Amino acid sequence: MALNVTGVDRETRESIREFLYLESLALDERRFRDWLEAFADDAHYEIPVRVTREKLSEWELSPTSRIFDDTKETLDVRVKRLETDFAWSEQPPSRTRHFITNIIVQPTEKADEYLALSSCLVYRSRGEEITPSLFSAQRRDLLRRDGDSWLIVHRWAALDQAVVNAHNMSIFI
Amino acid sequence: MTATGTSEGVQRMLADMREGVLQGRVPARIFNDQEIFDLERDKLFSTAWCFLAHESEIPKNGDYVVRYIANNSIIVVRDEHGNINANLNMCRHRGNMMCKSEMGNASHFRCSYHGWVYKNSGELIGVPYFKEGYEGQLDKKQWGMIKIRIDTYAGLIFGTLDPQAPSLDEYLGGFQFYLDIYLRQGAGGSEVHGPPDHWVAETDWKICAENFSGDGYHTPVAHQFGFHLGYFPSSGATHSEGWAVHIPDKGHGIGLGHTPGMPPFFGYPDELVEQMRGSLSAEQIEVFSKTRTAVGSVFPNLSFLIQPFSLVPGEPGVRFCTMRLWHPIGPGRMEMWSWCLVPKDASDEYKEAAYKAYTLTFGQAGTFEQDDFENWTRVTKAAGATAVRDVDFPYVMGLERPRLADFPGPGYAVSPYVTDTNFRNLWSTWLDYLTREA
Ligand code: FES
Ligand SMILES: [Fe+2]
Repeated sequence: MALNVTGVDRETRESIREFLYLESLALDERRFRDWLEAFADDAHYEIPVRVTREKLSEWELSPTSRIFDDTKETLDVRVKRLETDFAWSEQPPSRTRHFITNIIVQPTEKADEYLALSSCLVYRSRGEEITPSLFSAQRRDLLRRDGDSWLIVHRWAALDQAVVNAHNMSIFI
Repeated sequence: MTATGTSEGVQRMLADMREGVLQGRVPARIFNDQEIFDLERDKLFSTAWCFLAHESEIPKNGDYVVRYIANNSIIVVRDEHGNINANLNMCRHRGNMMCKSEMGNASHFRCSYHGWVYKNSGELIGVPYFKEGYEGQLDKKQWGMIKIRIDTYAGLIFGTLDPQAPSLDEYLGGFQFYLDIYLRQGAGGSEVHGPPDHWVAETDWKICAENFSGDGYHTPVAHQFGFHLGYFPSSGATHSEGWAVHIPDKGHGIGLGHTPGMPPFFGYPDELVEQMRGSLSAEQIEVFSKTRTAVGSVFPNLSFLIQPFSLVPGEPGVRFCTMRLWHPIGPGRMEMWSWCLVPKDASDEYKEAAYKAYTLTFGQAGTFEQDDFENWTRVTKAAGATAVRDVDFPYVMGLERPRLADFPGPGYAVSPYVTDTNFRNLWSTWLDYLTREA
């Protein structure tokens, strides 16, 4: 694989990095309404199901099975739910910390859209449990320029575990 | 401790449970206990018919998936003749695991330790140094992979470790009538939408199996947000209406929730409804056409749910169907396997819409699923506490409720849908297995 740098200008790259940090901060501070605003109206948020396969198999991430398969409208359903008093899985809320690293920004065919690749580790602590859930994922975000900021057009995240060791996925990656 | 390794305390608890369960009392301890788990492994999962896979997961010759019965890893594979086989995932030579991936396609399995080669049907056909080492004396026929007895119903592949077990047909005992709503969604039947989600939870498998054998009681509270936001085409006020049915002494149970005024087979595309009018019997149509929620468990640990769900308020709901296996991996600990079943003959648009409804509600990140596991994890934790050793739970709901005389389907039916009747049957069947003489 070539290791050529993509030559996206420093300003764009820095702006995208900061945007991704701000977005994850909104999640960790449970400002889900603010978080939702980071998504374009035509956004797609998806996490495929990972399957342990032999080395030369056609795929390892299922082409049909997904853990999340959301539009902005259904993400809004999830957030509305969290705003009720009956979202028991987040009552009391999970304490999360998103660690976003290894951000690589690449240009796309469209001048105002960029692809941001990143590594994401989410630490989740619930209640008095001393064992946290850890979700390690590769993320690929298609971002569209929106004035001084950015909108997520497509978030794709692939968990590194095939069998997830968490009793539910009531948080966002 | 006795010869079988079960303490007197647990033996006494099980003996008392025989009387208790009929009167509506079930010990909390059964939901998180090492000895109970050991008994389940040795007496229940070693003799019951256990779900392995859906035929649509292995459509082509050579397709395989790796599944479990208790702690036994099993390769379920379609051989070169198109027949389905189940073999222990273990090389017969020194026991190395044959398949390390969850699924794939192979005409042969070659062991990575000393290189024994088996056909995908399990016959041993290749032994390195056969002449030099074994002087050609090893009888290959004797040393094939270990076969697991299997049988199928409407696409479901079940296996049993017990060669003496009754037939699958007898085991299901009439519950097939109810399974058809999940498995014959249209003329071509059902298929999986893709590989299952799976995850591990500190939850006892039985709490989930019970919930899915018809716990309509928890829905308005545990899933209150659904009613509150109006994403759910039913209301709390009429929620208890419908039927609960079980197959006596078999452990299988189903809850059939009704919403008055709901159009027949609401949420299915018209062409599927047409097909179901042909593929289901008149009695099945009578039972299912008015059913909003069909939530059932095949004893011991396979469950299903059909439910209309609208992604967005105001939009008509779409029916999704989930199949789930509550696989026990330790006391109070399980691995969850969850599939979405779709009607094979439906349009791709409908299949996608049903799958979307599944991911948003009952997939791994599903909004209903999340709350269930939150509750079940807490129940499991509570049940493992020493102060709870001698505590019973009440299972008295519907104790005096009469059996419906003119119910069109097989089994023992009561109304309304919200009741413990199915659960009493579930626990007495479970008890039969655990207390059976070896
Ligand atoms: S363990 Fe498989 S060939 Fe020896
Ligand atoms: Fe539930």
